[in-house]
Amino acid sequence: MISHLFKLIWNKKKAHALLIIEIWASFMVLFGLLSLIVFNIRNYSQPLGFTYENVWAIGLQSNQDTVGIPQKAQRIFQRLKAYPEVASVSRASNNFPFSSSNMNTRVDHEKRHTMVEYYIVDAHFSNTLEMPLVAGRWYRGADSVGKFKPIVINQKASEELFENENPLGKIISKDKQVIGVVGNFKGKGEFMSNQPALFEQLDENNDWNKTMLVRVKPGTDAMFEAKVVKDLSAMQAGWSVEVDHLTDSRKTQHNLTLVPVIIALIVSGFLLVNVALGLFGILNLSIARRRGEIGLRRALGATGRGISTQFIGEIWVLATFALLIGLLFAVQFPLLDVFDLQRGIYVTAMLIAVGIIYGIVTLCALFPSRQAAMIQPAVALHEE
Amino acid sequence: MITLKNIEKVYRTTRIETLALTNINLSIAPGEFISIMGPSGCGKSTLLNLMGLLDEPSAGQVQIGGEVVTQYRDRELARLRNRKIGFIFQSFHLINDLSVIDNVEIPLLYRKGDAVGASRREMAREALEKVGLSNRMKHFPGQLSGGQKQRVAIARAIVGRPDIILADEPTGNLDSAMGNEIMNILQQLNAGGATIVMVTHDETMAKQTHRLIRLFDGALVGDSVLARTDD
Ligand SMILES: Nc1ncnc2c1ncn2[C@@H]1O[C@H](COP(=O)(O)OP(=O)(O)OP(=O)(O)O)[C@@H](O)[C@H]1O
Ligand SMILES: [Mg+2]
Repeated sequence: MISHLFKLIWNKKKAHALLIIEIWASFMVLFGLLSLIVFNIRNYSQPLGFTYENVWAIGLQSNQDTVGIPQKAQRIFQRLKAYPEVASVSRASNNFPFSSSNMNTRVDHEKRHTMVEYYIVDAHFSNTLEMPLVAGRWYRGADSVGKFKPIVINQKASEELFENENPLGKIISKDKQVIGVVGNFKGKGEFMSNQPALFEQLDENNDWNKTMLVRVKPGTDAMFEAKVVKDLSAMQAGWSVEVDHLTDSRKTQHNLTLVPVIIALIVSGFLLVNVALGLFGILNLSIARRRGEIGLRRALGATGRGISTQFIGEIWVLATFALLIGLLFAVQFPLLDVFDLQRGIYVTAMLIAVGIIYGIVTLCALFPSRQAAMIQPAVALHEE
Repeated sequence: MITLKNIEKVYRTTRIETLALTNINLSIAPGEFISIMGPSGCGKSTLLNLMGLLDEPSAGQVQIGGEVVTQYRDRELARLRNRKIGFIFQSFHLINDLSVIDNVEIPLLYRKGDAVGASRREMAREALEKVGLSNRMKHFPGQLSGGQKQRVAIARAIVGRPDIILADEPTGNLDSAMGNEIMNILQQLNAGGATIVMVTHDETMAKQTHRLIRLFDGALVGDSVLARTDD
């Protein structure tokens, strides 16, 4: 029976070409969308590597003030630390977690090299963000006097630079020595893929990198926030003080990922509904046109159920043709490594897309094929 | 082989009620070749459809090969149609998107169990040989003449070796030469043991059968055994 259906569809391939193209196009759209979604879900499922609840980022702008910036920044640091509501403070570069800025640099070790997100943060950073270390330790203020700059890298960076070797003590880019390794560090939030990261000790005598990350004690409210802004502004006249809650900036980062996905989802959704309706219409029409054939098949021994199975079978054959073509295109993405995504993502997306397409065509064929099954053979044969 | 008892058939639509057949009693023995005649609209096709289990009578009983089918469901009716009955229609009813041999194979596809691919092919080829079309197997119906199409339809009717062949004006769309050809094939099939019921408008065709049934306005008005001219 299956080969019979293949013949039937194959012999009508010209009439079905449009339908095949339509199903093929839906598959491609679905494949793209699902690759995106699977990619994001996979990222989301990987740990962030730090905690952000109750952490505030206090941004300081010295504006016209140009004298003694490092000392003033340190005074602010000490002041923040002194509040009883504050559990921990750390001074960091502007690319602190969930911020909108990035700082990339290329680092190497012997013949290997990689791009890393380059964080310049002080000795308290791991403490403030509750980052567990998987090897070694976080740097301390006293480490900076050594011959090499002490750095901590994340595991991803370690894999890129040292593969399976022990990274502790290794020298990177001539002047940096690895003294600790953290797990993941996904600075832009859960949807970010796990990228290499490098943390270098912040030089406190520097004019720059004066964002204060403050972990407040749970239950601290907006009153305290207002007080801090007021106190700091009073301490350093002319400076501007801005407080961002990491929970809020995290949402902003997530929206950057989610909004395009949701838009794509809506557009594809409309597209699929359209295709489904079109398919439904075509099937209804084709069944109306094939009443004679339906009557004949019944006369030759088909049951009503057999007729509806045939119509669903035909649409499956059609979908299979379209999907084979679609898969031919889709496998190029992992084969040619188009977007630098893991192969598993493409394969998962393909499988889900195939499943959804079969689901949609089955749903579209269900009602028309039921109708076909109910056609009275004597009536259908009479009509032609 | 076929027995009809007190058959009545009423077509009901929302507005009108048509009494298509009334009080039909008929018994057809194995090996008979019967023709049914009557004016247009008198119920010939309706009668044939009831014999072919394509339609249900409003009242009365249909027996095929000793089986009373009144209580039969779709699956059992389909099995009987497939195994016991071959249909031939005035308008051939070939599927234009399938080759001749694929068309002929269709009844075997609805037969579970036996006939696998290769043997189906073989049976279809044999059936086409019987109607003299073994040289047109790969053609499509669109490439055949009316007479050839009807011969394909006959091959399809006989491929499953049914006991009964029901033909509704099989020569209605053909000229007399082609009609005679079809008639010869039917006679050969009958000689081979098939029970044949044929609706026709053509007296000369009807005269070549064993028994002539006349219908008028849904009622059976004549049932005569004909003198056998040939065999
Ligand atoms: N599906 C149907 N619904 C309603 N009435 C029908 C239906 N099929 C047939 N009839 C009516 O039943 C009667 C018998 O029809 P049938 O087709 O059996 O006639 P027929 O003898 O085969 O005629 P013809 O020689 O023209 O083929 C007609 O009056 C017809 O209008
Ligand atoms: Mg008729």
